[in-house]
Amino acid sequence: MHPPILQNLLQQEIITPEDAAKIDIFEAKKPFSLHWELKSLLYLGVILLNIGLGFLIYQNIDSIGHIALIALIGVISAVCLIYAIRHRPPFSAGASESPPPYYDYILLLGCLTFLIMEGYWQFQYQIFGTRYGLATFIPMVLFFGLGYWLDNRGVLSLGITALASWVGITVTPQELLSKNDFNSATIVQTGVLLAALLTLVPFVSERLNFKKHFSLTYLNFAVHIGMISCLAGMMALDLEVLYFPLLCGAVGFYLWYARTRGSFYFLTVAVVYGYIGITYMLITHTDSLNLDFMFYLLYFVLSCTGVIFFLINYKRFIKNDAP
Amino acid sequence: MIAYNSTWLDALLTRDTAHKWHHKGLLSDEQWKQVQERYQAPFYTPNVFVRIGLAFFCMILLSAAIGLFMLFTGADSDGGIAALSIFFGLLSLAALELWAIGSARHFGSGVDDMLLYFAISVILTGLCSQLPYNTDTLVYYCIALPFLLAASIRYLDRLLAAATFICMLMILLLAVNNIPRLALYLLPFSGMLFSAGAYFFAQKGQLRYAWRHWHRQLVVVEMLALATFYMSGNYWIVQQAGAELFQLEQVPMADFFWLFTFIVPVAYILIGLFKKDRLMMDIGLGCIAAAVFTFRYFFHVMPLEWAAVIGGAVLFATAYFSIQYLRKHEGTYTYAADGDITLLQEIEEQLIEQTIASQNPPTTGDKNTFGGGEFGGGGAGGEF
Repeated sequence: MHPPILQNLLQQEIITPEDAAKIDIFEAKKPFSLHWELKSLLYLGVILLNIGLGFLIYQNIDSIGHIALIALIGVISAVCLIYAIRHRPPFSAGASESPPPYYDYILLLGCLTFLIMEGYWQFQYQIFGTRYGLATFIPMVLFFGLGYWLDNRGVLSLGITALASWVGITVTPQELLSKNDFNSATIVQTGVLLAALLTLVPFVSERLNFKKHFSLTYLNFAVHIGMISCLAGMMALDLEVLYFPLLCGAVGFYLWYARTRGSFYFLTVAVVYGYIGITYMLITHTDSLNLDFMFYLLYFVLSCTGVIFFLINYKRFIKNDAP
Repeated sequence: MIAYNSTWLDALLTRDTAHKWHHKGLLSDEQWKQVQERYQAPFYTPNVFVRIGLAFFCMILLSAAIGLFMLFTGADSDGGIAALSIFFGLLSLAALELWAIGSARHFGSGVDDMLLYFAISVILTGLCSQLPYNTDTLVYYCIALPFLLAASIRYLDRLLAAATFICMLMILLLAVNNIPRLALYLLPFSGMLFSAGAYFFAQKGQLRYAWRHWHRQLVVVEMLALATFYMSGNYWIVQQAGAELFQLEQVPMADFFWLFTFIVPVAYILIGLFKKDRLMMDIGLGCIAAAVFTFRYFFHVMPLEWAAVIGGAVLFATAYFSIQYLRKHEGTYTYAADGDITLLQEIEEQLIEQTIASQNPPTTGDKNTFGGGEFGGGGAGGEF
């Protein structure tokens, strides 16, 4: 398809015949990259091998013994992590240069096998007893440390997940044991606070000029945890007085963020969560008025038209020179 | 024929191609800037997240709007509702043509996609709801076909192109299925024949400059054709269809279909490699998986865990050694994610040699002999 385009560019005198010749050779001799295919096959092979070996070990657990198994998993984890640490990119406060191939996967494998080993320990020997908080606290510290030290966003995500479960577990057990039910108010409150904390981190790190490229990872967790907590507070706890203004604040914040940073992702996410919240408020509060079905249809038509025009015109509104 | 402004589509195509060249360093920043200035396409094409959001809200809007429309007009009979649906579908088409594409210049914005899908589905629902209860399925497909075909051509839509292909295939298979006695033998072969025809049509079509705007739709058709060709002869599918449609325990020509199940994926991969056809090779890889599952469905030769271990080991070893091999033997095939960089340096050297040797800058006439003569025979090597 390229010759007519090349011809056209030549006629417009944008390129010289010399450039055209270069491009022609390039198009004719382009090598065929098998990167994606071979890599997929490699990982598929690794996954299949792991599943198969896992099953085999599971079936023969009596003859192998738990100690040997835990040791094996521990060795795998240690080897992966040591490899990752020895081949780490030089530390910098910004983004490090790209590490060797497979590096990310070996590091992730090390982290995941560490989790498996810990889970195995707890399951078989109850080393943490009922102190589940500690069981999530250790991987959290490890993953945050590794994530920052080795500059890896995947491990950082694992760390944030561990943080969320640590916080979630620390606030629930007492309630769980005393009343034998999940007190969702605590969980929702924790969610909101956690989201606020996660939102704060990127701004602090930007101020300190330290690992600014982790911002998106933090904010991605923060936006979903925060908004879902607010919606849960509105719907499940019926505390609209508290959580609806919070939701509005969060939506406003992310719209502001989207505008200043030119992020279309946060723009769309904020608009969708905000729309769900507002629609919920409208439907629950007009319930007693016995309005006609047509009113709601009209609401959807008008509100969606409004949102569509907002989203379309936001492109002009969003700052183009944003990073 | 195309609803979108075709000058802008051309400009977009040029920009995209030039952008790729610029990215590879074949065009200077200056030249890329010039291309951007000279080829302008004032379409409204938002970011993918905004596109999803717009499509989502557009869908809610249209569903609520059609509800309101029905309530206002107070249609109560089946015929009335069908007529109103069709009318509403035409209204959305008008909104698509006059507002979204016409004045708002949308192109792949989520709004134009959703308006189109909604219009087509509402019109088809309206038309089909008027058919008697016991209508043959074939009739539904025949009604849908012209709409899908026309829409995928006029609005350059890949989803509708895929729907058109499947609709055509279903019409053919349902028609063949009605042939008495011969249907059992003809079904798989008609599927293969149709897929092969569609494949060559899509291949030839992609090479035609006049059809450049339909390139991406034709790629979708090509991909589906490769998949359905294999599915037409896969033993598991043939056996299931035989059991379902003709209550057969054992299909005739089982050996042929077993051979087909295993040979076609290998052929896809080999042909894909030799012709540097990524689509064919990737589908071939998928078909290998299908062949393995087909085999395991009928023959339980070893327990699942051992199969996984051995299969995984074989896959791992194949991929690992191929990567090692390609690392050492750079050439037509490469493991580098972006293997063009070394080639660029090579071209640079060749060009310098050429210019120094001839002592004058190559003219347009030089270009042809240069490109064709020296490098024309570079094709696929026999390493694989």
